Amino acid sequence: MLLSINWLKEFVPFTGTIQELDDALTMLGLEVEEVLHPFEGIKPMVIGHVVECEKHPEAEKLSVCKVDVGEEEPLNIVCGAPNVRKGLKVAVVKVGSVMPDGTKIKKTKLRGIPSMGMICSERELGLSDEHDGIMELPEELVPGANLVESLNLDEVVLDISITPNRADSLSVLGIAREVALAFDLPLTVPEYNLVESGEDCSEEVAIEIADADKCYCYYGRILEGAAIAQSPAWMRYRLVAVGLRPISNIVDVTNYIMMGFGQPLHAFDLDRIEGAKIVVDTAEEGEKFVTLDEQERTLKATDLMIKDGSKSVALAGVMGGANSEIHDGSTRIFLESAVFQPASVRRTARRLALSSDASFRFERGVDQLNCPEAMDRAAAMLAELTGATVRTGICKAEPKPWVAPELQFRPQRCRDLLGVDVEDAFCKATLEKLGCTITGADTADWTVVPPSNRLDYEREVDFIEEVARVYGMDRIEPVLPQVKRTLEARNDDCNEYEFWSLIKAWGCGLGLNEAINYSFVGHADLDLFNLPKDNRITIMNPLSSEQDAMRTELAPGLLQNLRHNLGHGNMGLRLFELAHIFEADETSDTTVRESGRLNILFYGDRFDSAYPRMASEAEYADIKGCVEHLLAHLHVGVPSFTLVEDHAWMSPAVNVVVNDQKVGTIGRINPEIADAYNAKKDVWFADLDTDVLRTMYVASNIKFASLPVHQSAWNDITVIAPITLNVQAIFDQVAATKLPLLEKMELIDVFVPEASEGAEETRNLTFRLTFRHSSKTLKDKDVDKERKKVVKSLENALPVRI
Amino acid sequence: MSLIHELESLVQELNSGLDQAFSLSEVEDLRVAFLGRKGKLAQIMQRLPELSPEERPEVGKTANIVKGKLTGMLDDCKTKLENAAEADKLAKFDPSMPGRMPWQGSLHPVTKVMTEICDIFKGLGYDIVTGPEVENDFYNFEALNLPPEHPARDMQDTLYVTDNILLRTHTSPMQARTMLKQEPPLAIIAPGKVYRRDSDLTHTPMFHQIEGLLVGEKVSLAELRGTLTAFLQEVFGPETKVRFRPSFFPFTEPSVEVDISCCMCGGEGVVDGQPCRVCKQTGWVEILGCGMVDPEVFKKVGYDPEKYTGFAFGLGVERVAMLKYGIGDLRMFFENDVRFLNQFI
Ligand SMILES: [Zn+2]
Repeated sequence: MLLSINWLKEFVPFTGTIQELDDALTMLGLEVEEVLHPFEGIKPMVIGHVVECEKHPEAEKLSVCKVDVGEEEPLNIVCGAPNVRKGLKVAVVKVGSVMPDGTKIKKTKLRGIPSMGMICSERELGLSDEHDGIMELPEELVPGANLVESLNLDEVVLDISITPNRADSLSVLGIAREVALAFDLPLTVPEYNLVESGEDCSEEVAIEIADADKCYCYYGRILEGAAIAQSPAWMRYRLVAVGLRPISNIVDVTNYIMMGFGQPLHAFDLDRIEGAKIVVDTAEEGEKFVTLDEQERTLKATDLMIKDGSKSVALAGVMGGANSEIHDGSTRIFLESAVFQPASVRRTARRLALSSDASFRFERGVDQLNCPEAMDRAAAMLAELTGATVRTGICKAEPKPWVAPELQFRPQRCRDLLGVDVEDAFCKATLEKLGCTITGADTADWTVVPPSNRLDYEREVDFIEEVARVYGMDRIEPVLPQVKRTLEARNDDCNEYEFWSLIKAWGCGLGLNEAINYSFVGHADLDLFNLPKDNRITIMNPLSSEQDAMRTELAPGLLQNLRHNLGHGNMGLRLFELAHIFEADETSDTTVRESGRLNILFYGDRFDSAYPRMASEAEYADIKGCVEHLLAHLHVGVPSFTLVEDHAWMSPAVNVVVNDQKVGTIGRINPEIADAYNAKKDVWFADLDTDVLRTMYVASNIKFASLPVHQSAWNDITVIAPITLNVQAIFDQVAATKLPLLEKMELIDVFVPEASEGAEETRNLTFRLTFRHSSKTLKDKDVDKERKKVVKSLENALPVRI
Repeated sequence: MSLIHELESLVQELNSGLDQAFSLSEVEDLRVAFLGRKGKLAQIMQRLPELSPEERPEVGKTANIVKGKLTGMLDDCKTKLENAAEADKLAKFDPSMPGRMPWQGSLHPVTKVMTEICDIFKGLGYDIVTGPEVENDFYNFEALNLPPEHPARDMQDTLYVTDNILLRTHTSPMQARTMLKQEPPLAIIAPGKVYRRDSDLTHTPMFHQIEGLLVGEKVSLAELRGTLTAFLQEVFGPETKVRFRPSFFPFTEPSVEVDISCCMCGGEGVVDGQPCRVCKQTGWVEILGCGMVDPEVFKKVGYDPEKYTGFAFGLGVERVAMLKYGIGDLRMFFENDVRFLNQFI
């Protein structure tokens, strides 16, 4: 809400500085977001008096003027406006001054005649788009005086953020009340003088309200003999200062009163109201209606309308209709001042995406008792500015008069909730200053009746907030509470936050960079990964098509990070991300199943720096080792790795299985997908289910095994195996032999000899076998015996040589 | 030549031998040659039986002395060579050679700030809870005293999945979810992702929030202030000033907006004579919203608002991270540029 300081001062005799006002309002909860100076640009302009005006001898359309600007000699100014003439008071920019658009005014010659400045049009003065003629100023202004000061323009305007509960502050009057409260000043609301004349007209337009819950009251006044024209400059400048566009004297008055007093008003052309009545009722389903912005709207049966005897004439509280709007020839006006149900106005305004200053106020609630007075103020002002006469009497219906609630207030409850020892007397004084009436203030349980402008006072706690607000929230002394909890409340299982924290610490400690991506991607991204479509969650109103689906995998986000980093020359990546994926699930109370995922991406250089590390690139062993490291860290058991044939977006893809349960998949991103993200090398990836891992982790425990007493002995064997034989097959075969003395078997070397022509490709795999006996130290011959069992078992079962 | 003389001449002989020895292995060779089982000393002593019993003690004594001398000479030489080798090694040592640094990982700044905040509240006795990011209207709005057609719904632009299912616009749904499951007293912290239909220089459509809720008997606004003051001074330093001013949230009453003194200019509004850009010269920056739990919210979850009171607060994690680390551009949080990430080790 834009508030002019000059306008405010008409309502309350505030004399402090802008800074004091800013601080006071902000600390009362009316946050001042910005201090604006709307007329900064026209500050250099001065009042000029055209004392001579003759045609330019060389150019028919130009006039040569002598303009008195309060200096010894009048200025010689050449002006092209058709309406320039002797005797006018005008706005002049002198040589050396700067125009609002930044142009500096220079001494020039126009067709041989020197010009020492410029006479301004309305456009140059920031009032309208009019620039065919110069602006004519009131007679009484003094030549040479500053324009902004002479017109008493609203030089300082505060942009105040009004929270949705403070509908009362959406007017100059409302904010003046707060200023009066803050600085202990009286309200000096401007007087008005309404003169009614002619016969009583209260029966000339019958008001019918179909549903009292949708329209609480409806007042109307009839004005006759109005002359439509531009509003005077002061009014237009004031509206511009608070962000409104001046339109015509009639419309401007309704806006002016709305900004001043908070009551939205609407002026109909009475000659276009048929059947001598106003009916407030809902629209026909599917009805078409042209609003005064010339848009055709399709209505619903829930939209509240203002109708006359035969047609709809306005969207109640939102916008008037084109068929009844004031036009240049209007003379008879029907002025509406009503109160509509906030929810109803909001529903219509929101559905039609048609938020107006009026609907904004109705949605939040207007002061029903102010409704007739605001209308009378507008009528008095219309009479003054349009020359209309106001007919005697009011057309009205008020099926639901304002009834003030009777609410409870207990000073002790207030002290307890605030934790501050505010005295009864302070509470009483505060509530009374805010317009409340209190009974029973000598007891512990008061009855408080709120004023009609504060619709937000609905409960005791609302008054407690007011006491705190006026006492000063910032004066409340901090007290650190004791946190009381029951032991049952303690969540003793490792919850998702704790488990993820553990993994994040692991990832960071291991040397991975944690990434965080948006939870939404585009359907196109998911399509690129060949992911199913039927389980996706689509966003109904996405910001863009790149963010229209909740991700069913984290991979697209990490691949986008890869593309970004490669684009910035970052060559080696080790990223991880922990987040939810989202899939449709009818059984969930949110229709969505969210599952935890840990994804890891390895790409390019294995090490960040060169010497003493040798340059090398990440490969399968890195991602696999990383996952093995995590599983060891979590004590969940030894994983096995099995090739998956047709994974949607990884090849090779390898399932990671622990205790017969799949915990995730690792592998390489399909080259054509990687290519779409500008990857030139293999992208190694791990996709792990943190829900499964967490369950395993919670169930796991550490069991100490006593240390062996006797020394171990080891023996190496080299197995010559076909290159297609998985190493795991050899490990499994040895494990199947179930040698009690074999403690450990490790692969320690791999050598691939050059295969001779036509021969099968082989590789030499060297294993170290470690043996140990629990009660004696093994001798060489014991070890040899065990070794022979291993060799025999391998040679019998597998196509290998030792 | 008497054996005694022969024994004594070994000293001279080893001396000249050691003069030619420049390595530890040469010294070792000499030790074997002189003192070994078949060494010179042993060979001389083998001839002991040739002597008369009267002469033997004298020779034996000499042999022991000589053996002691030879051992000493060998040890000295060995020490000398070892010292020289050590000195040589030290002279060639280059402390400026790069280290073999293991990988350096990093936590996302959002995680770092979130962890710090959660840890503070854990220390104060709060439980950490998490919940779904896709919510239904009830938990996100209705249970929080935001009925349909309430103008306060305009405060948050919402991304919808259906008319009734949405991406949570705040972490506050965890208030209702927790209270429906648990009876007071309770103290929880709910960190997580939240979503708004908003994207510009100062807004991203996804960001992180931390929600706090404490419910008990006679919980007061003064206690809310105490809790937040302690917490904010822990995060931003003990000099930080905390300002409370009235505001509005549908689910708290009274509602409070909390400002802290600007950490960029120390609340002065000016940095090096230039207007402070962080606080726009006001000396204050908005940091979080909070208030006393609205009685309507208690009614929705079946708590007796006469018996219980409580406070709730919610703050944006990225905002804290930006202030704490001096990050100027919000979009950097979700680009995951490793040059950015690596700064948060
Ligand atoms: Zn600052």
